[in-house]
Amino acid sequence: MKTFFAIAALAAAGMASAQAPQSQAPQVAAANPSASASLTIRFEQITAPTGRILMSVYDSETAHDKGGKPARVGMVEVDGATATLTLTGLAPGRYAIKVFHDVDGDGQMKMNPFGMPLEPFAFSNGARPEGGPALWKAASFDVPAGASETRISFQ
Amino acid sequence: MTAASLNRRDLLLRGGLATAGAMLPGWASTAMAATQAPALPDWTLGVGDILSDIAPQPLVRVSGRAPALKGTLYRNGPARFRRGASAVGHWFDGDGLVRAWRVNGDKASLAARFVDTPKRRLEEKLGRIVQPGFGTPAGPGASVGSPDDTNPANTHVIAAGGRLLALWEAGSATAIDPQTLATQGMVTFRDDLARMPFLAHPRIEPSGQIWNIGSGGDSAYVWRLSADGSFEAGQAIALPMASYMHDFTATARHLVILCQPWVSDQARLPFSQSMSWRPERGSRVLVLDKDDLSRRREYELPPLFFFHLGDAWEEADGTIRFDGCFHADPTFALLGAPGLVEGRHEYSERPELTFVTLHPDGRADMKAAGISAEFLRSAPETAGLLRHQTIHVGGYRTDRPFARSIGIWDWRSGREDSFDFGARQLVEEFVPAGRHLIGTTLNLDARATELHVFDARKVADGPVVTWRSTVPLPLSFHGSWVSG
Repeated sequence: MKTFFAIAALAAAGMASAQAPQSQAPQVAAANPSASASLTIRFEQITAPTGRILMSVYDSETAHDKGGKPARVGMVEVDGATATLTLTGLAPGRYAIKVFHDVDGDGQMKMNPFGMPLEPFAFSNGARPEGGPALWKAASFDVPAGASETRISFQ
Repeated sequence: MTAASLNRRDLLLRGGLATAGAMLPGWASTAMAATQAPALPDWTLGVGDILSDIAPQPLVRVSGRAPALKGTLYRNGPARFRRGASAVGHWFDGDGLVRAWRVNGDKASLAARFVDTPKRRLEEKLGRIVQPGFGTPAGPGASVGSPDDTNPANTHVIAAGGRLLALWEAGSATAIDPQTLATQGMVTFRDDLARMPFLAHPRIEPSGQIWNIGSGGDSAYVWRLSADGSFEAGQAIALPMASYMHDFTATARHLVILCQPWVSDQARLPFSQSMSWRPERGSRVLVLDKDDLSRRREYELPPLFFFHLGDAWEEADGTIRFDGCFHADPTFALLGAPGLVEGRHEYSERPELTFVTLHPDGRADMKAAGISAEFLRSAPETAGLLRHQTIHVGGYRTDRPFARSIGIWDWRSGREDSFDFGARQLVEEFVPAGRHLIGTTLNLDARATELHVFDARKVADGPVVTWRSTVPLPLSFHGSWVSG
């Protein structure tokens, strides 16, 4: 069924941006002296204690929903049911996060021949996929100045 | 049909989204219907809800004498359409209930269990229907990470490798224990093939080898499984168009994929809203060599809509023949089937039993038998081989939905041997069981589902034996007779 599979492929594409730039994480903090927020992301209900979680952080609806560039990317090794990652030097504001768990550690979202994602993925703010990646309106949340924390569950 | 519904039908056929009314989620319209409390027609017993699994119960013989027959008729079909104030928006979206009708001489019994799918678990937890489907829009709380999250496992059940497979069409098969009917889980035939679509109508050769396809817009995945249900080979192939695909057929040597002009042209849920009726494109038949899927031929046919085909066969000169149940357009899928869940008989389907011939010179033609028929079956030992007879249900009328007769049509003689169960029975698919046919009906007066066995040589004589259960089960779609 094309709808389903096209949408699933879209989900994979949305995730794909999380996998590219781990070695060249943008130094947003350096370019943004007004930044004064740090965000700790706690990943929960991780299904396999292997590989790593790859994360894309978006600061605009357009970039998030239309396949634009993430403001930040991040990665954390996985060795249990939870993992945490802290982003520093963020400008306070509204963000949304897409993550996928690269269980086999090959740096790519595993997909079936129709492009449906086969490794776990999740979105910020408890947003659920509805036949494609969650949208900004469901996944975005406010990051205040100072230290704050959010949770992303792979349920 | 009212003028309003005609307009809605036109819009739906064009794939244009219709009015607010057409997009009204099932849960909303059902809630309204409940408020208005209309009297529901008697046939709605066929789309009622089963609230829990059915423990094994003996059947009562109500007429006839049981032949020497031993085995189980497994059947599958949607049996839970409503939760609280919510409802699915389409007959095809209810939770699959697998039924085991066990026969051993003059003793018969029934047990039934819902397939324990992620969709059912989520909706049980929430107490409402939320997952989108063939014709059901997503509700608040929907979660669709892959098609399998919406998989109701409600269309067919086959036996392979000591287990049952409950089948849907846009996602994985679900393994079921044939004794307890307990769900074992969704089947991953190979790690990288998880979540791939697996149609509800595999074609099984007399050897037991299983062929199937999974539909993905303008491509399809061809599955080849061994008789024990394990993966042997698979390959993606290109289709002539992004047709809705519920069934395909096969000869001993070829796969025969009929592509109808109800095509996917936009990404939208529910599924039916992603499709457009494009009769100007006609229909195409893609024929693939089972031994080398790159060897392909295409034939043209007039525009038609179908769910079901019969087994195909091939003659010495390369002529391929098969039959199918052809509708004029997808109105039943778009309007008729959604209405059933709401108790509205908005559209009378008239599937025409039709014979298709693919000639060696590249021409293709169709010939109608002149009867309405659905749920075609034929003897498993002749699958892919020359046959003359087609088992079917029929007797579709304008005054009520669903079939009321069964029959065996003979393409050689052009004659029909049929039995009309009458106005007080809703008739489900019948399948061959050796020299017999076995199947179920819903008796509207007894408010109970019945199991019938016919002598396949004398269908018009009526059932040789009829047993009755104590429950009115919603109508099921497809099933398999497993002897022994």
